[in-house]
Amino acid sequence: MSVKTEQLQSDHDTWERVKSKFGGWSLSAYGILAFAFLYLPIVILVIFSFNDSRSVSKWAGFTTEWYGKMLQDGQILLSIWNSLFLAIVSTIIATILGTLVALGLERYRFRGKTAVDSMFYLPVIIPDIAMAIMLLLFFNMSGIGFTPWKVNFFGARLAVPYSVIIGHVAFNTSFVAIVVRARLAQMDRTLEEAAQDLYANAWQTFRRVTLPMLMPGIVGGALLAFTLSLDDFVITFFTSGAGFNTLPVRVFGMIKKGVTPKINAVSTLMLAVSLSLVVISILLSRRSGDGDSVQMGF
Amino acid sequence: MSETFAVELQDVVKRFGDVTAVNHVSLQIKEGEFFSLLGPSGCGKTTSLRMIAGFEMPTDGAIYIYGERQGYRPPNKRPVNTVFQNYALFPHMTVAENIAFGMQMQKVPKDEIKRRVDEALAMVRLSNMANRKPKQLSGGQQQRIALARALVNRPKVLLLDEPLGALDLKLRKAMQIELKALQEEVGITFIYVTHDQEEALTMSDRIAVMNNGIVHQVGDPETIYEHPADRFVADFIGETNFIPVKVLSLSPTIEVELGSGEKVTAGWAEEGLAVGDRAVLSIRPEKMDLLELHEAAKLKSNDVARVRGKVAHLVYVGTDTRHSVTLGDGTEVVVRLQNIHIDEEPWEIGEETIVTWNAAHARVLKE
Repeated sequence: MSVKTEQLQSDHDTWERVKSKFGGWSLSAYGILAFAFLYLPIVILVIFSFNDSRSVSKWAGFTTEWYGKMLQDGQILLSIWNSLFLAIVSTIIATILGTLVALGLERYRFRGKTAVDSMFYLPVIIPDIAMAIMLLLFFNMSGIGFTPWKVNFFGARLAVPYSVIIGHVAFNTSFVAIVVRARLAQMDRTLEEAAQDLYANAWQTFRRVTLPMLMPGIVGGALLAFTLSLDDFVITFFTSGAGFNTLPVRVFGMIKKGVTPKINAVSTLMLAVSLSLVVISILLSRRSGDGDSVQMGF
Repeated sequence: MSETFAVELQDVVKRFGDVTAVNHVSLQIKEGEFFSLLGPSGCGKTTSLRMIAGFEMPTDGAIYIYGERQGYRPPNKRPVNTVFQNYALFPHMTVAENIAFGMQMQKVPKDEIKRRVDEALAMVRLSNMANRKPKQLSGGQQQRIALARALVNRPKVLLLDEPLGALDLKLRKAMQIELKALQEEVGITFIYVTHDQEEALTMSDRIAVMNNGIVHQVGDPETIYEHPADRFVADFIGETNFIPVKVLSLSPTIEVELGSGEKVTAGWAEEGLAVGDRAVLSIRPEKMDLLELHEAAKLKSNDVARVRGKVAHLVYVGTDTRHSVTLGDGTEVVVRLQNIHIDEEPWEIGEETIVTWNAAHARVLKE
């Protein structure tokens, strides 16, 4: 091998090394960019919620003033209570209904099952706005209207229209059913046979074996429903009539008069709640004993 | 019906849509018996077991447990317990909770539950595992817990659905012995489903050989092996040579003619065969012997069959050597010769030989 070809060979090696290095580097860069795209707005939102200025684009020092202002704003507080109440009530109803739907679809064969099955995916697939308009028409035509449920919720006097609760239950039930069904499909049916074989009747089998095995799925579905309900804007906006605000609806109202750091503070609060829910759901799924993660289905 | 059986199936049929899984099966299982349902997968053995347990209802026929007709009685009302193939231990409960489950459902007093759980754990030698979750146990340990969970309820009949199927060979052998010893100790009737013929032969008092939803033969292991009732049983249990023959006479002696024109007698012929029918002669490889041509000529007895052949190939398998011999009509038979005489002159490939067997060991079976 001549000196020249050796030289060429080593040049080639160097080039390959550079190429592979560049490849690795550009992949990392791409990853960082993607994360930046996803999380930079959130970081900015959180930082400016502590900005000691009315401006949302110029940093003027740290303050928690906006959080204080937020908590003094009766409208915002009311909308937070509304959101929580709505999320809790609709989650409870949707979790019970969704679990029953999942059991029915997974365990029984009946006429028109395929149709019912695909119908339950509809609220997940169709655009919120379509669902919102459908519900609005339904409440108008059926005469249910926007009658409020007047309730004292931890001292807060709320008036939550039944229509909004029904609307939230309508879309949440599907999500719960899908999550619970995924869990149910994984479950070994011989466990239920074993329980029956060990003298358990149908109810005892459900109570002692099926339900505990299903719990991670049910909790996962409930947390998903709770988050979706808390976040929902479109369906709430269309089905609440006048004068009822959840937090997202309230924020939308405030934004029309211009973005203030108070909105950042409110958004940060919502973000914190959503994040905690995600963390709780992950922790619960880890603790669920058999190591299966909660099947969120998404 | 004078005698009361532990379990009795009367003309039981089970259909799933167009498929007949169990086809007019009648069985009588005695108290304290280790009874096996043996057959290839899909033969209806598991379906039969599931009908006794109450997980499936018969399409037709009746099932009696200790003389009581079960009808549509659900599993939780039947005096039987099941050990499942995959154990089906409740993963969210500890070992002790698993074992206690059946007694809790039957409202057994708490202190008695505790005492019996301890006893059951001691019986399967896993007392120190009481507070573990099933996931933390090995396959063999899970198997024993499943057994304890069923036996602790003192069922009249224990149903076992291929309980050793998931274990490796060595553990399976050990568990076979343990299971048999346990059954003799507790004296409970065991109904054991398996596709492993060796397992069935070593453990059972009696075996029912099934195929395509039909019971082909019921008998003790020796009867099943030595006197198979038909071609399926002879083929499924152990190894057998089938030689195509024509029936020449059925009484007073059974005589058949091979494709080569050679005539031999047999000890038994399947019911329903007639003179002139085509059939198969079934002989176990270890019941055959090979002789030199001149040796065979000296044999006088009519009870010993003699058929010409040529050694085709040899396989040494340790305790014995399998000699494949091609007969005059081209049929290849396997002759297993024990390696007692291995040091003497062995057979060579291509050598002319006479295959002999005791006529009593040959059975004429329908094709």
